[in-house]
Amino acid sequence: MAAALLEFGYLFVVVALTGAAALRLGLSVIPLYVVGGVAAGPYVAGRLGVPYIADGEVIALLAELGIVLLLFFLGLEFSLDRLRASGSKIGRAGVIDLGVNLPLGISIGLGLGWSLVEALLLGGIVYISSSAIVTKTLIDLGWIADPESEPILGTLVFEDLAIAVYLAVVTSLVLGGEGGFMAVGRSLAIAFGFLGLLFVAVRYGTRLFARVLDIGNQEAFVLRVLAVVVPVSGAALALGVSEAVAAFFVGMGFSTSGHRERIEDLLIPVRDVFAAVFFVWIGLGTDPALLVAAVVPLTLAVVLTTPAKVISGYFGGRTYGLSAHRSLRVGVGLVPRGEFSLVIAALAASGTTPVMREVIPAFAVGYVFVMSALGTVLMQRSDLVERLVLRDESAGVEENGTE
Amino acid sequence: MTIYESDLPGVGKKHEVELDDGSRLVIVTHNSGRREVFRRESADSDSERLFELDDKLARQVGTLLEGAYFQPVQSTTIETLLGDSTLIEWVEVGADTEVAGQTLAESNLRQVTGASVIAIQRGDEVIPSPGGDATLEAGDTLVVIGPREACRNFAELVTEG
Repeated sequence: MAAALLEFGYLFVVVALTGAAALRLGLSVIPLYVVGGVAAGPYVAGRLGVPYIADGEVIALLAELGIVLLLFFLGLEFSLDRLRASGSKIGRAGVIDLGVNLPLGISIGLGLGWSLVEALLLGGIVYISSSAIVTKTLIDLGWIADPESEPILGTLVFEDLAIAVYLAVVTSLVLGGEGGFMAVGRSLAIAFGFLGLLFVAVRYGTRLFARVLDIGNQEAFVLRVLAVVVPVSGAALALGVSEAVAAFFVGMGFSTSGHRERIEDLLIPVRDVFAAVFFVWIGLGTDPALLVAAVVPLTLAVVLTTPAKVISGYFGGRTYGLSAHRSLRVGVGLVPRGEFSLVIAALAASGTTPVMREVIPAFAVGYVFVMSALGTVLMQRSDLVERLVLRDESAGVEENGTE
Repeated sequence: MTIYESDLPGVGKKHEVELDDGSRLVIVTHNSGRREVFRRESADSDSERLFELDDKLARQVGTLLEGAYFQPVQSTTIETLLGDSTLIEWVEVGADTEVAGQTLAESNLRQVTGASVIAIQRGDEVIPSPGGDATLEAGDTLVVIGPREACRNFAELVTEG
């Protein structure tokens, strides 16, 4: 007990130090937490013979809570009605984004000789942009006030929905993957049965959710939220269904209960603590030596998926009626990848093949590290990108900007 | 003046206000309550951040802009706009005016000015929808409704005689 507590204290020191470094350098905290985890974990600190944080069950459990809360908040901020209201524009930009980047990732995986499930995991990792990093950078750079923020944030909303469906399918494929066609079919049926029921419950159970949360006491409020999210996610996982998607649906249920803002106020710090544990935990499990094994897919992915995201984003911006120069920014703004790529990596790590258990998580860590930094830098220096790409147009000229 | 509102999922809301010189004032209201105010020179230029306020300060600055503490145009009367041109105004009856002591019917105010009295405040007492036989006394506050011009004439007549 004493040793475990000390180890846990060590983890929070790592989080605090890397968080401070991120703040000082003006970077996103996510890649730095992961790097902190790698450095303080068994593969670096352990090999150097200094005290290290073991990748134990307790930390894995708390990291799991981090995943659940990350997806819960995604659901909380997601609104089907809003998606429907701004409908076709988000839909078109989102479909272009999905149609370009997911198949590209899958092709890279298949091209490397991986199995279909392995390639699907790679596709998801390179497809999903980081809501956290993108949104923070939009605010930092002041793009949030400009027209490009709407297609960027709209595409992120579409990705949230796509990733929920994706995780539901891929979790079943990964967890039920050994028993052949029948087993996969059965685990998919269980997943969609469970999630379908949950979806109906949150769609029509608004009044119940509202009643559960109708309490003035802060402590009781926080505990009640957790007492719904965590057991529902746990039940999902026990059935071999994506706990992340279950948490997403519960979040959606709470979002219409009229308590959304209060949940955000009171539970964001809770989420941030466990999400930080999750990012460090991902680092703990990453052997930097494995990054060498992942260097080919990593290089391929960075070289191919960066321009692909810029191009799909550009056309997404065009469907919003933005000028070439602003549409290009939409593409650049969607380049950073982060938390959700790591959630998919954690799923891969529970898989059965060596590629899933070792190569994909190492790949994801390296990929997120490169793409979060590259994406942020591209956004900061978007003037250079614009000049480079749109050489024939005098920069800043609006062609048919409709706002 | 046109105001554009749009959702910023995960961030908050954005309002764009068209200004007289063709530029736009962009107000981003974060879910946390923080307000960021930008100005965009023209459609194709980038927004320039002017300042940022927390929720409480934004509300205080907002009431100042609204004029709740200081009415720059007419300092002796309070007015509320209904639609584009109709006002509700509060007018005090002056001591040396002709109407002081008259009934509403005798004063003939509605026929002369076009504005109607909808209530009379006398100290703590309020006479709502006063009839023609209600008397006006010096020091009464009359709540008046009518077109802007009518309200102005009414105020002149009643406060100065």
